[in-house]
Amino acid sequence: MGQHRVSMDIGGTFTDVISYDEQSGEYRAGKSSTTPQDLTEGVFTALSSLVSEVEDISFLVHGTTQGLNAFLTRRGERVLLLATEGARDQLHIARGPRWKLYDLHYRKPEPLVPLSDIVGIPGRMTFEGEELRPLDEDAVRAAAQRAREEDIRAIAVGYLFSFRHPQHELRTREILREELGDEVTISLSHEAAREWREYERTSSATVEAYTGPVIRRYLSKLEQSLDDKGLAVPLHVMQSSGGILTVDSARERPLQTLLSGPVGGAMGGVALADLLGRQNLICVDMGGTSFDVSLVVNGVPDTSPETTIEGLPLLMPVVNIHTVGAGGGSIAWLESGGLRVGPQSAGANPGPACYGRGGVEPTVTDANLVLGRVDPKWFAGGQMDLDVEAARTAVGALGEQLGLSVEEMAEGICDVANAKMAQAIRTITVARGIEPREFTLVAFGGAGPMHGVFLAEELGIKEVIVPRFPGAFSAWGMLQSSIRSDQSEAFFYRDEDLEPQVMADRLRALGAEVSDFLAHEGVAPKDTVLQFAVDVRYVAQEYTITVPLNDAEEPTTPQFLGGLSERFAKMHDERYGHSNLGAPIELVTLRVTGLGDLGRAQPATQPQQSGALPADRADVVFSGARQSSALLRRSQLGSGASLASPAVVLEETATTVVPPGFTITVDPIGNLILTTEDNS
Amino acid sequence: MNTRTVDPVTVEIIRNALSAAAEDMNASLIRSAYTPIIYEGGDCVVALLDDQHQVLGQSAGLPIFLGNLETCTIATEEMFGRECWQPGDVWILNDSYLGGTHLNDVTIFGPVFVDETLVGFTASRAHWIDVGSKDPGGSMDSVSIFQEGLRLGPQKLVEGGQKVAALIDTIGRNVRFPYPTTGDMNAMIACIEMGQQRLAEITQRFGLSALRQARDDIFAQTEQLEREVIAGIPDGVYTAEGFLDNDGITLEEPIPVRLTITVAGDSIDFDVRDSADQAVGPVNCGYAQTVSALRVGYKLLVSPDVPGNGGSFRPMTVQVREGSVFGAVAPAACQWYFSHLGLLIDMVARALAPAMPEQVAAASHGDSMIVMLAGADPRVDRDYVSLEATLGGWGAWQGSDGESALINNVNGSLKDLPIEVFEARFPFRISDYGMRPDSAGPGRWRGGVGVVREYEALTDCTISLWFERAVTPPWGLEGGGEGVGPEVIINPGREDERRMLKCNGLRLRKGDVVRCLTSGGGGYGDPAERDRALVQADIDAGIVTTEHAREAYAFIGPVM
Repeated sequence: MGQHRVSMDIGGTFTDVISYDEQSGEYRAGKSSTTPQDLTEGVFTALSSLVSEVEDISFLVHGTTQGLNAFLTRRGERVLLLATEGARDQLHIARGPRWKLYDLHYRKPEPLVPLSDIVGIPGRMTFEGEELRPLDEDAVRAAAQRAREEDIRAIAVGYLFSFRHPQHELRTREILREELGDEVTISLSHEAAREWREYERTSSATVEAYTGPVIRRYLSKLEQSLDDKGLAVPLHVMQSSGGILTVDSARERPLQTLLSGPVGGAMGGVALADLLGRQNLICVDMGGTSFDVSLVVNGVPDTSPETTIEGLPLLMPVVNIHTVGAGGGSIAWLESGGLRVGPQSAGANPGPACYGRGGVEPTVTDANLVLGRVDPKWFAGGQMDLDVEAARTAVGALGEQLGLSVEEMAEGICDVANAKMAQAIRTITVARGIEPREFTLVAFGGAGPMHGVFLAEELGIKEVIVPRFPGAFSAWGMLQSSIRSDQSEAFFYRDEDLEPQVMADRLRALGAEVSDFLAHEGVAPKDTVLQFAVDVRYVAQEYTITVPLNDAEEPTTPQFLGGLSERFAKMHDERYGHSNLGAPIELVTLRVTGLGDLGRAQPATQPQQSGALPADRADVVFSGARQSSALLRRSQLGSGASLASPAVVLEETATTVVPPGFTITVDPIGNLILTTEDNS
Repeated sequence: MNTRTVDPVTVEIIRNALSAAAEDMNASLIRSAYTPIIYEGGDCVVALLDDQHQVLGQSAGLPIFLGNLETCTIATEEMFGRECWQPGDVWILNDSYLGGTHLNDVTIFGPVFVDETLVGFTASRAHWIDVGSKDPGGSMDSVSIFQEGLRLGPQKLVEGGQKVAALIDTIGRNVRFPYPTTGDMNAMIACIEMGQQRLAEITQRFGLSALRQARDDIFAQTEQLEREVIAGIPDGVYTAEGFLDNDGITLEEPIPVRLTITVAGDSIDFDVRDSADQAVGPVNCGYAQTVSALRVGYKLLVSPDVPGNGGSFRPMTVQVREGSVFGAVAPAACQWYFSHLGLLIDMVARALAPAMPEQVAAASHGDSMIVMLAGADPRVDRDYVSLEATLGGWGAWQGSDGESALINNVNGSLKDLPIEVFEARFPFRISDYGMRPDSAGPGRWRGGVGVVREYEALTDCTISLWFERAVTPPWGLEGGGEGVGPEVIINPGREDERRMLKCNGLRLRKGDVVRCLTSGGGGYGDPAERDRALVQADIDAGIVTTEHAREAYAFIGPVM
């Protein structure tokens, strides 16, 4: 048995690997370029810098964007969709809203399946379970025949009321298997999401059928390569919910892995909250072209039971990641004589002017470089040399049009970008009734630590944490996750009609499913925790709030509804600023989450700072003036070290920029803690 | 000319701060509102104004609410004088002839002071679910404002930081649902107070003179952007005419809406004076709302992506005739104020089509297409009311087919009700819901298709309908054909089959079927020029039949 717990995060540009030595308690980070033609190559390159033999690995978890990339580039599997006749067009009606208000040329998000590949199948259940019309089995066989003739290898099935009465969907799968064998992918809507709302449920099944084959092929290949190299433990995969599951289960339910990419960072935030005793965090993950914000509130990640991807709905639990249109690549430009920054981005190609790939427009990264806030030799772990002159030329040309010097222009670009990012964060928190001043900001990703302190100043936040390995923080977060299984079931009752015994029975049944699953994942019963909950709303609301229950038996206890109403009212008040205790409520969905503890990687205490800090200085522009600033390597800072800003802290995966007015300390496990007193 | 005191970076930071403050006010209002029409439907708007009633920043949930909150502060000042503004006060107003919309839309606003100087105003408007009209929530057949509920001129709701208890009591006595209505009112007051705080913070952070200098720069940028677009429109007089089917009272009498647009250099004038006299039924609105609707039509073509501010709409003037459907005077009924405004918005693009062929689009289905069902549900022994807007097709444009099955312009981001939710909640079967084949206006680019939505009553109940645009179905442009108009058929194919587009409280029996069909959008360009492969694709998709393909496109089969 090995001694290294390892996580791998494959991003678009780089593959990050973090290893944790269970004996020494030491973390290490590795990095390599992502190898798109064969991702396992990049994985092994990064891995080999940390672990000499694959068999030394005691636990391995992996986050992948394979399915997401297939979705975003529309290179998934062609899907044939079977839908209830009389409701065939739901995927294209898509409930009909417009998300841009002033657009005569509005187009809905493009559905994954064209109308010509959607087949109406006669057969109709009612809400109560009456079979109004039997399933037309010949129609299903005809659809199978078509799939065979046209070589369609993925089929999604979305019938009305299958979330309560799945018999028609189940019978359809039997027929399809008889006709087409085991190789074809079949996704039933009630298995993808056992919840009401036919469009959202069918959309979930369609996305699963579309991306599932890609994810399965990739996971099988990766697993095979790891097995060949002697991996002795199961491969685990990150889920969008913030939990992990084994690769076998991920192949069964590939949808759950779709949005797992940025979730590691949020889970890292949860682990930090726990380690540092901070309950409320704003987690800022800024890369070259992206800016993702997530929240940890009262020690738990801010999650939703559903989400959308490029406008297409998915009914599955997700950690909320707010992508804000800014990042190092945001372009500064002029509109009618006024300065603008973003929303257009230079992306990775051509990228900022300083990348030297043909970009000529000034970006936020160029501005940082001009200001001396980026070391051109240390960008992205020294894997890319930046062209300072190209940055100065691009920024200077814009400055000339506005009558500003190169430095003034550069600082202006950063100030505008920071103000916009801070405002976006504030609007996210205001909508949740949160006061950002009471939060700690955690900055990570390659560019997060460069901007985090400026964001904190704008938001009135007094403390910023830059964790160790900020560029690989998502990978670190994955190592802190538990096995997780979620089951849900539509359960539609108005309070006065509730049948408590039925509710308890259904919760118990869902709990048994979740327990079986966790046992199958290799979790011992003693390490299993089940959480029960029910989605509740006031009658006539559409949105629901997930209200925790004590256990599956709670509905049969006296005063259950009164207690539930009170809990709901309290949560409603926190979320919406008011509640309506006594008003009728509706129960909508039952939820059971199972968490299986596989043990954590406890960070080791870092060596104490010994001796004086290095005295290197550099001139960095803050508030319009070049100011002499401490220039430090992070590896030179031991625990307990303390200094006053301004300062720039360099390390392989990121650069931390601290303007005047902050105290920088290093905590026992190596986090940089940046605090200020005069921030009001 | 002032000397520059503020650099372009600060101007941009202030510009973002002002629009973010409006976003925050909107988020706060939506978060705190009690009724779903606000927090789910987004039927609200907020704005920050400067001390001259110019918009510094605004955020709207519905397009139709674009930019007329300043009329409320202006009207108040005209009535009571500038000295009426005092710190710690919040005002309320809902009069249709001042605010422009129906009485349900209540505007709450207040002055912002920094160091005893009036620096601006914040304002919010939201739809209250009931203001005491003759029927709950509002009527489809009111003939006077006095049937439409409580009517408030501008008055103080909060005075010196204290709520005016007597007024709040009066409001509570005049509305059917005082509990949630008071909740919504409090949410709006909280939103106003947040805006007051944000605007005061911005003023203090940058200083009043920097703020004013930045404001002038921001307005000048916006104005210049819009003038550049208008200067690109060939000078000339552009007209369009359309008809509302009727006013909901006299069903056989269409209501003409006439628009004349005059473009001269970088200015543009909108004249609706030739439109109908104010109607007996509730299809009237005040001047302010006509300005809003025309601003939406203007914005769609001139500045769709630019956040609105006091520099917006400066190139534009509006001519409205008092006593017309667009300049209603007391006691005209205004409850259904948005049907003719929706038509007017569409007609801006129709009039300007020859001048801006790339930017315009053919017409959409155009109105909310309301189906209201009410009765008792025997499964749970409770009364229910269901109110739905029905989707329809949007118009094609140069280079693209129109979108199918989309909510109308005025309703923003409203979603339909899923079949599974509808049948669980109401005693109906939705026996058919899908695209309406052959409803799209043909063209080189075809319109989007409308929908079919068919209800079967499982118990006796009543139905009210408001379907529009039969007299002026969605028009095509540049040789494109018009979309097929709306139809509602009760008991299709049976002996007692009936057709109607509007009704109020009609009785339905158990087993009755109501089949609603909405218009497709208009087409763009000559149908003969449509790519044959696209015609075949529409046939494969099931939204065009082979017969229609033959008639509309002379399509006889795929080109091999």
